[in-house]
Amino acid sequence: MTAHRLVAIVVALALAWPLAATAQEPYPSRPITVVAPFPPGGVADLTARPVAAAMEKVLKSPVAVVNKTGAAGAVGMQFVATSKPDGYTLLLALSSISIIPEADKIFDRQPAFTVDQFVPIALISADPTILVVRAESPWKTAGEFIDDARKRPGQISYSSSGIYGTLHMAMELLSHAAGIKLRHVPHAGAGPALTAILGGHVDALASGPAVVLPHIKSGKLRALAGWGDKRVAALPEIPTFKELGYSDAEFYIWAGLFAPRGTPEPVLARLREATRAAVAEPEFKSAMDKLQTPIAFKQGQEFQTFFDADARRLAEGVRKVGRVEDKK
Amino acid sequence: MLETLGNLGLGFSVALAPPILFYAFVGCVVGTLVGVLPGVGPLAGISLLLPATFGLDATRAIVMLAGIYYGAMYGGSTTSILMRIPGEAASVMTCIDGYAMARKGRGGAALAIAAVGSYVAGTASVVGLMLLAPPLAAFALRFGPPEYLALLLLGLFVLAYMSSGSMLKSLAMASLGLLLGMVGIDQMSGYFRFAYGLVELGDGLGVVPVAVGLFGVAEILTTAGQATPPHVVRPRLRELLPSRSEWRESAAPIGRGTVLGFLIGILPGSAHIIASFVSYAVEKRLSKRPEQFGQGAVAGLAGPESANNSATSGAMVPMLALGVPSGPIPAVMLAAMMVHGVSPGPLLIQQQPELFWGFVASMYVGNVVLLILNLPLVGVFVNILRVPYPYLYPTILVFSMLGVYGVNGSVVDVWIMLVMGMLGWVLRKLDFETAPVVLGLVLAPMIELSLRQSLAMSDGHYGIFVYRPIAAVLLGAGLLLVLLNLISFARRGLDWRARLALAEKGEETS
Repeated sequence: MTAHRLVAIVVALALAWPLAATAQEPYPSRPITVVAPFPPGGVADLTARPVAAAMEKVLKSPVAVVNKTGAAGAVGMQFVATSKPDGYTLLLALSSISIIPEADKIFDRQPAFTVDQFVPIALISADPTILVVRAESPWKTAGEFIDDARKRPGQISYSSSGIYGTLHMAMELLSHAAGIKLRHVPHAGAGPALTAILGGHVDALASGPAVVLPHIKSGKLRALAGWGDKRVAALPEIPTFKELGYSDAEFYIWAGLFAPRGTPEPVLARLREATRAAVAEPEFKSAMDKLQTPIAFKQGQEFQTFFDADARRLAEGVRKVGRVEDKK
Repeated sequence: MLETLGNLGLGFSVALAPPILFYAFVGCVVGTLVGVLPGVGPLAGISLLLPATFGLDATRAIVMLAGIYYGAMYGGSTTSILMRIPGEAASVMTCIDGYAMARKGRGGAALAIAAVGSYVAGTASVVGLMLLAPPLAAFALRFGPPEYLALLLLGLFVLAYMSSGSMLKSLAMASLGLLLGMVGIDQMSGYFRFAYGLVELGDGLGVVPVAVGLFGVAEILTTAGQATPPHVVRPRLRELLPSRSEWRESAAPIGRGTVLGFLIGILPGSAHIIASFVSYAVEKRLSKRPEQFGQGAVAGLAGPESANNSATSGAMVPMLALGVPSGPIPAVMLAAMMVHGVSPGPLLIQQQPELFWGFVASMYVGNVVLLILNLPLVGVFVNILRVPYPYLYPTILVFSMLGVYGVNGSVVDVWIMLVMGMLGWVLRKLDFETAPVVLGLVLAPMIELSLRQSLAMSDGHYGIFVYRPIAAVLLGAGLLLVLLNLISFARRGLDWRARLALAEKGEETS
């Protein structure tokens, strides 16, 4: 095949694409796109794929995952916020959907999107972060850690996935609940943040349990406490901050499905029904099991309540962090 | 040692089983294609194909993804040599001397040297991975932000010391690159810098669109601007293979490139492009005829091509030994393992010996597959040079745009590529080298982040760079280099670089 013919084929395919769009048919009459605003291999992507596969079965219509990445998720979220509210473009968002608009406000910039541009369909999973320190560090319990941090404000350091990122917000919520001050060293993602604590360049890290479990088992890291409402199943002996009396230190890395606001109610109802059936699929359960991510299905008012409470905590967290250079 | 051999035997029994062999082969083929397509690099290739591996078992999936990874490094050299378009970011250095060789009718030889160099580097670095993974990974973890900053600065000094032509021009280009690298979200404060309201610029200018623009598009524009099309040296069939002297010239650079690439690849967060830049600089410094660099020096092709291949194995050391990602590609591969219920981490080698050793053995096999695949393809690929420019160049332009668009599905990236193409055209007219721009663009965010992380760690005290032994040694070496440079500069008004520039000028006017 010559290069010319290849080009011709590509052009022909590109032209044929928009023909699919027709209205007034029972939903779904054409493929649905689920936008994961983060690259393949991240939490959003790894959650979106089994969800899409299970929904495909229930809806009997193709559901494709598209990674639209950039600017810590803002590019993909903005894309869905401004796309046609017809139920064919959905968003699989993480907690950062509540953080990004708040951060935009702090910098007085035109927000890329606002939370009101979305309607929640369902919460898929919610993974509480846990606090880990290196095994050779002096702190055996969360209490010792917090006491020491009180004695030496700004001396104990932690790495995070980036400023205003999920791992940063978790630590900030703890700092405010416990009245301590820690030293923040942002990294470019959760992977580098983990590398930093394993290499001994920082003292502590808030992380999703699945990522740090192998290092806890091999004796390199020690878990002190969790941010969840309940204890983490794989670490039953590790208390929650709630149990320790810091009730505001509640944080989850959650994943939920959203549609653009204005999506017709019958379509939303169909999607809610489909996600409810999808999370019950055995394939979906086993996929989430392998990722060691607990399924936390919530929808309707229940999800809205969870979402609102979470967004309020995060917004307050972002405001308390404020602009970094304004401090000191 | 005996134990390692036994384990390797286990590994080969896994890797040579037909299904695994098949997926290794598929990975290598796909990787070569991904590398050949301009703009689509290994990260994009692996990311796009990750979902396709969800249905496979863990070993097959990992073997296939690894095949794509190192296959792309092989394939990336093809378009760089034949068309001066970096197939992926790490091939930027290959563009310079590889393309110059192709212009002189040695395109076949260049492709063959790139393939053999990649093979040697790939295989030798797997030996390194196999024997040294755990201790090396532990050492690599000691590289925190201060060490990393010291290493990057040392790298910059080495490059400035070794750049060709006018030092002023090289530094100007590197500064331009560093400035371009400032675009995007400030990692430490969350500010959007120079984004002009475009959310897409939040992640900064991508290396791929900039590299394809500065090299490929600029080349096309330059050629199109000439009154008579440049004479194409048609490759003759019997000249496809490198001559004996070309083999001799490439042997030592391949060896050095392999070691350098592996060591740089191990360090968390480093990019393969740095390995190839450093290798190029080292070869130029060691060469008896540095004036040939840029004009088709065999060493300038063999070193960087080997370095970017052995860097892939190096990058897998922390991933396999410790379960920590040393860059975006290993991060995707770690995710693939988790999808399959394998928990990557320090216990992987003990708990899943079949997976680890099968993976290592499959890399030996994969490198052989790639060599067998790539050498005969040399004869096919060089025929591209027979296509007349009026047909070839528009086609390349279309493929470059498709490739750059395809990676992120972003039109902004296509615009970046086109603007950079114009900029590259102007710079070439004015006799500026564009490689330092790409290097600056890559290094700027890394240098900035590691400097500010270091200062965050030390609460603003610069002493952190002196108290930490590795950082202190690296910075000391960098300062020594600057001093040497200044001394030689003061002694002779004209150092070798200036003489070289004069020699190059003489050649161009003749």
